[in-house]
Amino acid sequence: MKTKNILSIGLIAIAGILVSCKKNYLDITPTDRVPDVAVLADSALFEDFVINRYMSVKLQDKEGEGTNPGFGRGFEYAMWSALTDESIYNNDDNTWLVQRGQLAPENTGIAGTIWGRSYRSIRECNYALNQIDSVAMSVGHRTQLRGELHFIRAFRYQDLIRNYGGVVLMGDKVYNLEDNLGDDALFTRATIKQSIDYAVSELDSAIAQLPLANDDSWQLGRATKGAALALKSRLLLYAASPLYNAGTWANAAAAAKAVMDLGKYSLDASYSGLFLNANSNEIIFERQYAIGARHVCLEISNGPNGYNGWAGNTPLQNLVDAYQMSNGKDITDPTSGYNAQNPYVNRDARFYATILYNGATYRNSTVQIYTPGGKDSKDGPSNWNTTKTGYYLRKYMDDRNPIDNPWNVAGLQPWIYFRYAEVLLNYAEAQNEAVGPDGTVYNAINLIRKRVNQPDLPAGLSQTQMRDAIRKERQVELAFEEHRFYDVRRWKIADVTENVPAYGIDVTTSGGSYVYTRKVALSGRAFATKHYWLPIPRTEIQASNNRITQNTGY
Amino acid sequence: MKKRFLSIFLFLIPITIWAQQSKITGKVVSGGEAVPGVSVRVKNTNQGTTTDNAGQFSLAAGVGDTLVFNHLSYVTQELAVKNNAPLSISLAATSQNVNEVVVVGYGTQKKATLTGSISVIKGADIVKSPQPNVSNSLAGRFSGVIANNRSGEPGYDNSNIYIRGLATTGNNDVLVVVDGVPGQIGGLQRLDPNDIESMSVLKDASAAVYGSRAANGVILITTKRGKTGKPVISYSFNQGFSSPTRLPKMADAPTYATIMNEIQYYTNPGGGLNQFYTDAQIQKFRDGSDPLNYPNTDWQKATLRNTALQHQHSLSVSGGTENVKYYVSLGTIGQQGIYKHGATQYDQYNFRSNIDANITKRLKVGLYLSGREEDRVYPQTGAGDIFRSIYRAYPTVAAIYPNGLPTSGIENNNPVMQVTDIGGTNRNPTQVFNGILKGSYDIPGLEGLSLDGFFSVDKSWSADKSFSIPYPVYSYDATANTYNKVVVGGSAGLASLNQYQLNQSLVTSNIKLNFTRQFGQHHVDAFVGYEQSKTVMDSLSASRLNFPSSQLPELSQGGSAATDKNNAGKSYQFTRKSYIARLAYNYQEKYLLEGQARIDGSSTFPKGKQYGFFPSISAGWRISKEDWFQPVSFIQDLKLRGSYGTLGNDNVGLFQYFDNYSFSNQYVVGTGSNIHPGIDLIKLANPNITWETAKKLDLGINAVFLQHFSMEFIYFQQKRSNILTQRNASIPQVSGIVNPFGSDPLVPSENIGKVNSNGIEATLGYNNAAGDVHYHIGGNFTYAKSKIIFIDEAAGALDYQRQTGRPLNTYLLYNAIGIFRTQADLDNYPHLPGAQLGDLIYQDYNGDKQITADDATRTKYGNIPEITYGIVLGADYKGFDFSAVLAGQTHVSQYVLPESGTIGNFYSSWADNRWSPNNPNGSYPRADNRASASINGGLYNNTFWLNNASFLRLKNIELGYNINADILSRIKISGLRVYANAFNLFTITKVKDYDPEGGPTGSSTSSSGQFYPQQRIVNVGVNVKF
Repeated sequence: MKTKNILSIGLIAIAGILVSCKKNYLDITPTDRVPDVAVLADSALFEDFVINRYMSVKLQDKEGEGTNPGFGRGFEYAMWSALTDESIYNNDDNTWLVQRGQLAPENTGIAGTIWGRSYRSIRECNYALNQIDSVAMSVGHRTQLRGELHFIRAFRYQDLIRNYGGVVLMGDKVYNLEDNLGDDALFTRATIKQSIDYAVSELDSAIAQLPLANDDSWQLGRATKGAALALKSRLLLYAASPLYNAGTWANAAAAAKAVMDLGKYSLDASYSGLFLNANSNEIIFERQYAIGARHVCLEISNGPNGYNGWAGNTPLQNLVDAYQMSNGKDITDPTSGYNAQNPYVNRDARFYATILYNGATYRNSTVQIYTPGGKDSKDGPSNWNTTKTGYYLRKYMDDRNPIDNPWNVAGLQPWIYFRYAEVLLNYAEAQNEAVGPDGTVYNAINLIRKRVNQPDLPAGLSQTQMRDAIRKERQVELAFEEHRFYDVRRWKIADVTENVPAYGIDVTTSGGSYVYTRKVALSGRAFATKHYWLPIPRTEIQASNNRITQNTGY
Repeated sequence: MKKRFLSIFLFLIPITIWAQQSKITGKVVSGGEAVPGVSVRVKNTNQGTTTDNAGQFSLAAGVGDTLVFNHLSYVTQELAVKNNAPLSISLAATSQNVNEVVVVGYGTQKKATLTGSISVIKGADIVKSPQPNVSNSLAGRFSGVIANNRSGEPGYDNSNIYIRGLATTGNNDVLVVVDGVPGQIGGLQRLDPNDIESMSVLKDASAAVYGSRAANGVILITTKRGKTGKPVISYSFNQGFSSPTRLPKMADAPTYATIMNEIQYYTNPGGGLNQFYTDAQIQKFRDGSDPLNYPNTDWQKATLRNTALQHQHSLSVSGGTENVKYYVSLGTIGQQGIYKHGATQYDQYNFRSNIDANITKRLKVGLYLSGREEDRVYPQTGAGDIFRSIYRAYPTVAAIYPNGLPTSGIENNNPVMQVTDIGGTNRNPTQVFNGILKGSYDIPGLEGLSLDGFFSVDKSWSADKSFSIPYPVYSYDATANTYNKVVVGGSAGLASLNQYQLNQSLVTSNIKLNFTRQFGQHHVDAFVGYEQSKTVMDSLSASRLNFPSSQLPELSQGGSAATDKNNAGKSYQFTRKSYIARLAYNYQEKYLLEGQARIDGSSTFPKGKQYGFFPSISAGWRISKEDWFQPVSFIQDLKLRGSYGTLGNDNVGLFQYFDNYSFSNQYVVGTGSNIHPGIDLIKLANPNITWETAKKLDLGINAVFLQHFSMEFIYFQQKRSNILTQRNASIPQVSGIVNPFGSDPLVPSENIGKVNSNGIEATLGYNNAAGDVHYHIGGNFTYAKSKIIFIDEAAGALDYQRQTGRPLNTYLLYNAIGIFRTQADLDNYPHLPGAQLGDLIYQDYNGDKQITADDATRTKYGNIPEITYGIVLGADYKGFDFSAVLAGQTHVSQYVLPESGTIGNFYSSWADNRWSPNNPNGSYPRADNRASASINGGLYNNTFWLNNASFLRLKNIELGYNINADILSRIKISGLRVYANAFNLFTITKVKDYDPEGGPTGSSTSSSGQFYPQQRIVNVGVNVKF
């Protein structure tokens, strides 16, 4: 009995020890996340925070497939081109509603995330800019990071301005949850001019602080002085354009010239190779990808069904028709030699680099879009994945990637934000508008044409003729690079170009020859004046209690 | 009442045997189970005995005597002795077992003196469901519990359980307490049903003793314990046959081909109605004359088998002496998937050893150990994606070519191949260990004072090894007459491996000082206690690409390049500490009063906000015990009761009280394309985060009347406040505070939500006997309605679109009021830009002559039912016994928009009834390229796709037979029972295409019905006792 009593007491004592309440029992240090004090205490962590500002959050399904989105849209299943006369996205994915004029504050399709994404990034840049002085680092390093943040902030404003017009300017303010989120300052839109001026001043600050070149200490993929200058050139070009009417062509020309004068960039010898080479000297600013941080697998998502592709972004006849003959003449020119029943011979080299057409050679076989029987037509395998337009996308496709089962390996092409050709085009356009088609205008355009062996523009063009030539050049040179959408708007020609039906081609064969018949690839294409700007999302209007001014017409 | 007390005395009176009478033997059973402890008495004498563990009795009586069988839990029965042959007596259970003891939080209580709303299910009832997942055994059995089974996939076939419906915009999970351990790792779903003694569901403030985690209700599970007596060996075997409750009928090839033509026509009306297939081609699909080029495939038939097998073995030994009692068991479960040649398999192996020992007269120790291995094996493709492939795959594409080669299915997903192990498997074994050391000590010196406590350790180890192997599928090129190989699976033509390990542990310690004593007419039961727990989780994952061989499924045998390798790891821990107290008092078991309180601390919250106080009080009045009530003879028992208390909920993400940053390495820099380390802000701080509180009121009345009837009626209400929920709708994005899509929001949980809910529960039972037939029938009904008082909404939200003032989880949809059938319709109704004939007409709700987002309205119901009900039946006749549970729900909606178009096949209900130029009277809208982006579908989610998900289904039915004891005793078997039972045997519902329990929880309109279907299980079993 005695031993049992001892046992009892022993057990109770053990029980007591087991539950002995430690005073700090509830104090747990998290091991899987970093507090802000740590980010601000270590310049390496702070820099890691700055680096990720080149990206932003995913705000929609089928966005940020692979890695988080950067600026604009970039490589996604449905590309931004599917909102223009460049292509239609085969599977709709809420692109058709934009092309069919159904864009509305509650239905923004793939164009609904720029607002939120940009403002989130701006807030984060503001936070970093407000805190950067308290982070211990060398003066030089701090200057560069600050320049980078100013650049990113300006780029976000560019994304906002070119989609919404005048936007809300946040300054350096960082809103927090305890702040009044019904503050008038949140809902007051600046004018387009104020918005552009602010973004440009941000860029001037970035230009002053950023290094000229990527080198060992300043890696490729980070902003440089050239990147900031290129963005400034684009912004000022937009500002001078009819839709904006908020700047001068002379300023725009000067801004483009400033990039050219750096002497740092030149056209890549190969137009088609440029889009697969992250180290091209033509690239001014880009987003790179790597194994473990990839974008969508372009080859399967855009390839022809006969190759087991999904025919994602399929070029429209509207774009195909814009490519000149290799003799430099438009196909509408009766002397061009264009034959509508043999349409793909002797075209601008960029046509072959951008578009897969019936009879094109792709991956050691011939693309067969014809019916009956063509493997890349509806008579081919998985026929729901065949093109509705009669074309497939060639640009960006890397033949080293497998089409079948590319997961984990494909999706590495760089997304180019700025390249030298755009700057030349910016310059040509602005200079032509500012002073007319002088020699520098010809030089800039012909440089671009020379690379693809297109003849120089004929001498003696009028300002208007030159304007048309430059616009066509932009259309084909920069196809699928997220320019067309904004160009037709800023030129105020979208009410024409976007109301042309979305054409495709039907190819039929009998007895070895092909018959090409133009068709409507997507019915109901429409554009109204209100569509010059995107609607601010309905949720945002409601969150502001209708205090934020919606764009006209929505 | 007196009779019952008398029987207790009889139970205790020593028996004298009258020599001149002969010996009468017999066996007492109920529902096929032997009933021990039944008082057997010769009427009008003091002679009697009690049945033993096998239900056997033997006493001296003569022919002509009447035997009276009496047990507290059964209806008293009389039987005349006609001869000396052994008797077989079957007792019917009483529905109101007044002296039954119910497990409550931190103790037990007599059912008669309960003041809270607590429902109990016995283990014996749980095993009547052939669905081995315990969470599926609750539906329909009693009021107040809503259980919806959302998937039938082996290993993931549990029901979501809500007590009295949804009551918060936050987390609605019920707290599960197993053998006293709150939130025991392993939960309730995978417990061996044979090991469960009982489950108690605490529905009201009686759960407040679990304080901070009790707001959504508490389920207490008690496992079986040994009883004094000879060892009883029990073995049971079940063989089940499982098949989908329902699968949608899909369109056949000629129908689909016609639809493809229509879709092309809508894209390009100029091209006519045969842009894709000619009529001749469609005819070939129809007549099957060219199976190579024009097949007509039923993908369900090709992929799924009719029935899948499942089996369950259970072996237990229990018994004990005065000082040591034991219950040990072993069990195994095996469940197949319903795929043809499928890789899916769930196997479970479990053991339990519950030992109680009296070390001294005062010191008792219990050691309860249990362990479980859950082996899940799945094909590389998950069930959701397999069913997505089945429902999407075109009937115009063969599953297998006539020459035996597999086709590329839908976008190289051929479900016939996906279900097999050809693409590798995903092995996901989990081991769970639960150990509890319990002690109690009666403190000498003061009668009724005792100390007890437990120390428990829970561990689980989950591994996941997913080896993806490339394999070929083929597409036939008709022109070249070749089969082109496409390699799918793996990664870029080579095998790849992902491995994951998740370890969790929970260590809980509890100590409490109890005082229980009767002072004359006064009874006091009280305790104070302390409890603390610590949860630790850590995980590790690694992957390799480019395996040189598919034969070598180990990490170190994968590709050697740096880009072939990846790994990740994570860990967290959190702690709780609690002070608990309860005081229960009653006077003559007539006036009942109870108070409980708990102070809970949680590391989830910042200092100063860590502690919450959760008190409750309840009272009861047993009117039928009042002397003045005695003349009311038709009411045998009547009790009024009520409870009120504060409960809490802390089930939110950890560490939200400071700004959280986290690594997300995605940005690539440098000429070598290196990923730079990157940090993102993932959570803004809420330095004030603290408990969510629930104030619960419960008023109940319980009665037994006219001998055979029992009833319960409850009114309940609940006010949730400080609900931990996120602000998002009210925060303009321009502030930069923007939540990402589909992942943890940037904004923290804040104590801002308010939801009130209320409702009633009603139960009525009846039991009786007619000759040898004993039967009982019961019905239960629950109405639970929530009303949102505050939820974060945009300042400019329209009144009729606000959630505020409406129930939780309603949908915001356009009202579909018809189909545009004529140009006149298009002219007469406001419509969307681009609307055409065959499109749905949406109601212009606000009358502004255009259809905009302002025309969407809130639905009346969400997909958690407002009303649930059940019918429980049982009967036995001699050796036969029968039981059934019907479960129903109503006032419930489910949104399912199938993924149809050129993207996938159509349900027949849509395909056969679609509007088309040739079928202008179709009741469904025209086919479109992609339902999810159609103005008749995902672009304008609307009421056309909202179904009334009401149903009544036969949840369980069982028929059993006990084989005559005589035959058995000769072969040394003390009991043998054979039975057949079924789960989800039939369903009455208006939902056509999918199981009405299906679909995701919540008001999401993204459901496309692509889930592993709920199962109907038919099972036969045998139980042998030695």
